[in-house]
Order: sequence, then structure tokens, then C-alpha cells
Amino acid sequence: MEVPLIKIEKRNDAPMALYFFTPFIAIILTILGGGIIFYILGFNPIEALKFYFITPISNLYGFSELLLKATPLCLIAIGLSFCFKSNNWNIGAEGQLTFGAIIGGGVALLFYNQDGFYILPLVILAGAIGGMIFALIPAILKTYFNTNEILVSLMLVYVSKLLLDYLVVGPWSNPEGFNFPETRQFSDSSRMPLLFEGLRIHAGIFLALAAVMLSWFILYKTYLGFQIKVSGLSLKTAKYAGFKGKTMILVVFMISGACAGIAGVGEITGPIGQLHRMISPDYGFTAIIVAFLGRLNPFGIIFASLVVALTYLGAETAQIFLQIPKYTGQVFQGMILFFLLASDYLLFFKVKILNLKKNELRH
Amino acid sequence: MATDLRISNISKIYPGCIANDNVSLQFKSGKIYALLGENGAGKSTLVKILSGVISPDNGEVYLNEKNLKLSSPLDAKKNKIGMVFQHFNLFETLSVFENLSIDATEDNKSLRIKINEILKKYNFSIDLDVPVLNLSAGQKQKVEIIRCLLRSPKVLIMDEPTSVLTEQETEELFISLKKFCDEGILIIYITHKLKEVLSLCDEVAVMRKGKVISVSQTQNEKVETLANKMVGQKLAKIKKKINISKIKDEIFKVKHLNFHSDDPFETNLINLNFSVKKGECLGIAGISGNGQNELFQILSGEIITPDTSIIFRNKEIAKLNPKQRREYLMAFSPEDRISQAAVPELKIYENVALNNFKSSNFFEKGLVNERKIKEHSKKILSDFSVNTENVELKSQFLSGGNLQKLILGRELITAPELLICYNPTWGLDVGAINYIHETLIKINDQEKSTILISTDTEELLKLSDRIAVIYKGKLSKIMPSEEVTPEKLGVLMGGGSID
Repeated sequence: MEVPLIKIEKRNDAPMALYFFTPFIAIILTILGGGIIFYILGFNPIEALKFYFITPISNLYGFSELLLKATPLCLIAIGLSFCFKSNNWNIGAEGQLTFGAIIGGGVALLFYNQDGFYILPLVILAGAIGGMIFALIPAILKTYFNTNEILVSLMLVYVSKLLLDYLVVGPWSNPEGFNFPETRQFSDSSRMPLLFEGLRIHAGIFLALAAVMLSWFILYKTYLGFQIKVSGLSLKTAKYAGFKGKTMILVVFMISGACAGIAGVGEITGPIGQLHRMISPDYGFTAIIVAFLGRLNPFGIIFASLVVALTYLGAETAQIFLQIPKYTGQVFQGMILFFLLASDYLLFFKVKILNLKKNELRH
Repeated sequence: MATDLRISNISKIYPGCIANDNVSLQFKSGKIYALLGENGAGKSTLVKILSGVISPDNGEVYLNEKNLKLSSPLDAKKNKIGMVFQHFNLFETLSVFENLSIDATEDNKSLRIKINEILKKYNFSIDLDVPVLNLSAGQKQKVEIIRCLLRSPKVLIMDEPTSVLTEQETEELFISLKKFCDEGILIIYITHKLKEVLSLCDEVAVMRKGKVISVSQTQNEKVETLANKMVGQKLAKIKKKINISKIKDEIFKVKHLNFHSDDPFETNLINLNFSVKKGECLGIAGISGNGQNELFQILSGEIITPDTSIIFRNKEIAKLNPKQRREYLMAFSPEDRISQAAVPELKIYENVALNNFKSSNFFEKGLVNERKIKEHSKKILSDFSVNTENVELKSQFLSGGNLQKLILGRELITAPELLICYNPTWGLDVGAINYIHETLIKINDQEKSTILISTDTEELLKLSDRIAVIYKGKLSKIMPSEEVTPEKLGVLMGGGSID
């Protein structure tokens, strides 16, 4: 009897041009996979996919919503790319976003009955510092106590969410709010300026674009960027070259935390306008997918954030028109990551099938 | 039944090196055979061929006059050739029994009975139900041996089996091996430790540079004669002229260098003290795995050891990292050029920027000065005759020799006062080796110093002014190289002592 035995080998000649092309393959496979799921659920797959991917952005309002959702994804993913490029696995951006929003929101609440041009910059700065401080916790524990940053940064997400819960229910809840778990509305001076009348897209998008430019400059034009690149490719070489490994870990976590914190502030001073329990539909986690789909490249991340933002919108449209839960958005995000990892794997490894006689396996 | 294993005219050629050159050997059961040779002599290649991991380009293997086709490890197993590698192939989190049952043919009950018989017969004490990670290195090795014994092997090959064992575990191993031998298992023992050969083996085959140099009865051999054969007496053609003046200043001085590691595959260093004079090359010989890796990393500043004093040009530098040590005009060329000294995915000029010394201005105010780095890289490429002019080329496309020239060029362009290099010519072809040897001699001629850590004795005798041997983390006394002979080195490298 012949038994196939699967053997996996590394390719020595992996075509690097394909490396930037596989994200597109992953997206196409995700759409096909989505079609199959809709078919199994009993929908016409073409129509369902149209509701999912085309209807949401077929008008100006939809397009503004797309940019609104892409903004925090892009900002956070840019920050994460610093960590991931240097082999630091910060997966707690959601927590850094939340803590940034708490600190930024706290400052906004201080000024709830005041006006002034200086308030919004203060709020944004406070948010950035909040995210930075929160990201420093796993970074310091990693550098000085050898803890695993994946676990620490992930667990801190729940710490920040519970802290937010406590604040909006307890000390910061709106005294005139009939005990709803939310704070006062922020004053207009701490709100992000809207770009167009009637649309929700706000000035935060410029912060995201600035982050893209700045990160491109830092990663490709500075000594810090060079150190990040070398450390990501070979930690042994970084050590041999004498890079200050600990300082670099702290710096990339701070950059990453600041970006997530600003994204959090963008949400509460943009579309939300106050603090409450649900300030982010897991943008911090989804941004991990965005960072990898964008190949950790600043401009790739812009593109990836738009694609992933569309899965959020599509899910909402599908809930309205097809009566399926909006959590299908997460199914699509999961599929993108799955297909991306799978196509990368096949790009770098080849699968060989050896046919062996059954008894050969045993000897 | 007697076993007769015959290797006939085996050759294996890798690009740029002949690993096995027409090797023929004959082994008969009832004896323990040693296969002796330095690193890179071709022992491992021969063993890999016998265990089916690689196929020879030429030649045949016969077991009891039957021609074996060994195209995979499965074939070796089928033909009852068992193999215990230096690094164990065990699942750490599984129990001993689970590890042994993975590729066993019996059901669990009869397997357990069979294992217990083996344990009893050879007096092994191992608890079958503890996870492998709780075992000592010696016990893990026993598990590997049991795995081979379960298949009632005709041939048992042991690859450097004592490198991770304590003295006592080594003794126990030898007793077991002698027992196996009495039972008719043919044992091939691969090593570079001369004493072990003399105390354990009946016959010894010495390999050097891919060829079998001699086959003899161990009773007719001594440590010196074996060392002689292993290292080779061929003296170098270009020998540098030894520095005559002995009253030169000491430029580099190491005191109380101790290093302790919890990793069983790392070597502890015990109280190393040495110094290097201006314009001198200090050679450190030794068989790899005796502490050279750790020593290099401590000298370069990748590992900082407390209580060590390193004085360089009258300054204490023991606490400085590699970059800071470079500022004081030290330079380093590690053994691993592919994943440490350079990054294959980076372009040539980016790899040059790794040696970012103060006056280079590669990075001004934190910004990359690409023009400067590229100019500098072009100079290195032409000064050190690297076979390309394209600084944008990714380093992975350079041959080993060209990559090493690039690395040496990068390190030397700062005109360092001291270069520390570790196996600078391993795996290179003759032309590149010559070029690098000439370069290293030139450094000394310019009154700059070098520390050459190498496993190649020929290279050491050719380049060093004084030589010391590192063995199990201890340094021998430092000898002027005109007093050193290959035999002496061989004895010290194998753990023996002279005078």
C-alpha cells in the first residue's frame, strides 16, 4: 500500500517580486472564500458580495465612513510596523489605544465647559503620552525582566478596558447622565474639526497621513530605522554591531504606543465625542492584520487599512440588508490573515509529496 | 553472525571543497573503530553518507558483501545501521517511553517489556515515564542508544558522543560500548579526542582534508603519533617572519576572564589571562566547541562578564559594547559571516554601514548619509579586490571568499590597532585563503596587532607569533610559535599535556 508522506522544504529561490503581490492574492482568495460562505448560508454569493464590498462605498457618505474607519487602523498599524520590523511583538495596541483615550479624554473632560484653540492639541498630546506610557510597561518588563512582550501587552488590554469601565461608571460618569455608563460630552474645542458638512470624516486623517510620511522617513532615512531593519533581520548582527538593543526596544514600543494613543483620541474626539465603554471595535487587534497585509511598508499600510476598513463597513451593510450579524466582518478579517499567511508560507516553502510503501514508514 | 562493513572509493564534492576524496575503509564486528580527524576533515560527511542523510557522488557501501543503496535515513535503518548524533533528536516534553514508541514497530505493551529487558541487560537506570527534559545529557544519550538497540543493529555509529558528557558519564558510556562490541555489534566511534581513541578503540582511521591518512592498531599508537597524523606536518609555504623584538609594549591585556553558562551547549571559561603586544599575532588554537565562541563574544563585547579586566591601549574597556570598543580602534571578524558579520538580505553598502565608527560620518545627526556610505563601500570593494563594483548588490549574491574580503575590508578600513578574528578562512577556496592570510600578515607588518582564534592549525602556525591552546574553556601557557610543532598542538588540543 502506498502512503503519501508530505515533506516541506525551504525554497532557495523564492521570487521576491511575488512577496509584494501575495497580499492581492490573499484578498482575492478572501473574496472567493466569502462567496462560498454566503452560498452555504443560502444567499446569492454575487449579490451578497456586492452588498458587502460595493454598496458601502457607492456614495459619498459611505466613502467618508471608509476613510473614518481606515484612519485609526492606519495610524495603529504604522506604529506597530516599528515594533514588528524589529522583532518586538506588541499585540496590545488595543490597550494602548484605550489608555490613550482615557488620558486624552480625561484632559478633554477637564476643559468640558471651556473653549480655546489650545485644548485639542493638549488632548491629542495627552493621548499620545498615555499610549506611550502604557506601551512602556511591556517594553520595560521585557528589557529588564525578560518577560514575554506578547503576553504582557495582551493582558494589559483587559486592564485598560476594565479601568475605562470603572471610570465611565464611577468617578467620571456624567452627573446629569441618569447613570448611563458614559462621561459628559466634550466641548467643541476638544473635538476634531470635521472636513465636510454632513460627513463624519475628520481632521484625524491628516494625523494618519503625517504618521505615514514620518514613519517612511524614520524607517528608511535615519540611523534608528537602520538599526530597526538590522535587528529585524538578524539579532546576532545587531548585537555584533553594538546597537543599544534595550534602548531600541523602548523606543519602538513608545512610537507604537503613541500612535495607538492618538488613534484612541481620534475616536473619542471625532465621531464619539465622549468616553463610554465601547470606544473601539477592536481596531487595535485588527491593525495587526493591517500591518502585515501592508507588508510593514508605510504606503502598503495605507492600502491595507482601506481594504480592512471595508470589511467593517461591509459587515454593517450586510447586517442591514441580509440580516446576518455584523461579526461576519471578523470572519473576513480572519480570512485575510489566514490566506496571507498561507500564501507567504507557500512562497517561502515548497511542499513535496513522497510516496512510500506503508511498511517503510515503520522501519 | 559476524558483520562486515566496507566502504569503497567514496567521494563527495561540495562547491569549492572536496569533503570525501576516494575514501575506502573496512570494518569488522567485534572491534571498536575510531574515525579521527579535525573539524572539516570529512568525518561528518562520511557518517552522513553511511546514515543515508546525503548521497555520495561516487563509490559504494557494502554490508556483508551486499551493495547498499542508502538514499534516505530510512534505508540505513532498514539495513540495521544505527546512529547516535551529537545533538539529540528527542521531543523534550514527551516522556522517555513516548519518545521511544514514536517509530517503534511493536505495540506499547511488548515495547515496554523489550525496553525493560535492555535497561536490565546494560544496567541503565532511566525512568521511562518522566519527560525527556528532566534527563541529564548522559541519560538523553542513553535514550538515543536504546532507540538504536530496539532495532537490534548490526552497526552502531556514535558521532562525537562525549562532547556533552561529564567524565563519569563518559566512563559509563565506554563500558556500554564495550559490551555492545562483545555482543557482535560493529561500533564506529567518531571523535577528535585522542585520549578516548587510545582508551576505547581497537583500530583507528585518521582523516585529513577528505582523505584517509592512515589506518592502524591503536596499541601501536601514542597521543603524539596520532596528533601528528591528524594535524599533518606539512608546513606552510609563506611563513611570516617572526617579530624579533620581544620588548614591545603590551597593547591588550586580559585578566581574570571567567564565564559561566547554564546552556549545556556552551562552554564555561575558566580564568583566562593573556596579553598581546604591538605588531604581534596571538594565535589561539583548539578544536571547536572548547570555548572559542564564548571567548570571541567576550573579547568583542557582545557578552559582558563581571570581574573581568580588559585593558586596551591603557584604558579599561571590559564594560564597553562592541560599538564603543570600535571607537577605541578594535575590529572584529566573527566566525559566522552569513548571519552575524553580515546580513545576506542587506545590500553591500548597508552591510558596510554596520561598522559605524565615529569618523565615518555614515550617520550625521541621526540621518543616513547614503552618499558617504556608498563612496566608502566602493573604496573597500576596490582596495580589498572584492569581485564586484556594485554596492547595491545584496550580500547573499557574494561568494564566501568575496563576502569575507568585504567584511575584513569593512573592519580594516578604520586602521584598527587590534583585529580579533575567528576562523577567518573556514570554507573558503585556496585563492581567497591566501589573500586573507597575506592581508593578516600585512596588518602585523604595519605594527598593528591581531588575535587569531582558529581551528586550523596550519593557519595558526603560519600566522602567529605566539600560540596558546584552548581546551574545555582553559587556556594553555602561551608559547612562542618557533617552539611549537603540530604534534605539540595536537596533544594540547586533545587535552594532553606536554613536558
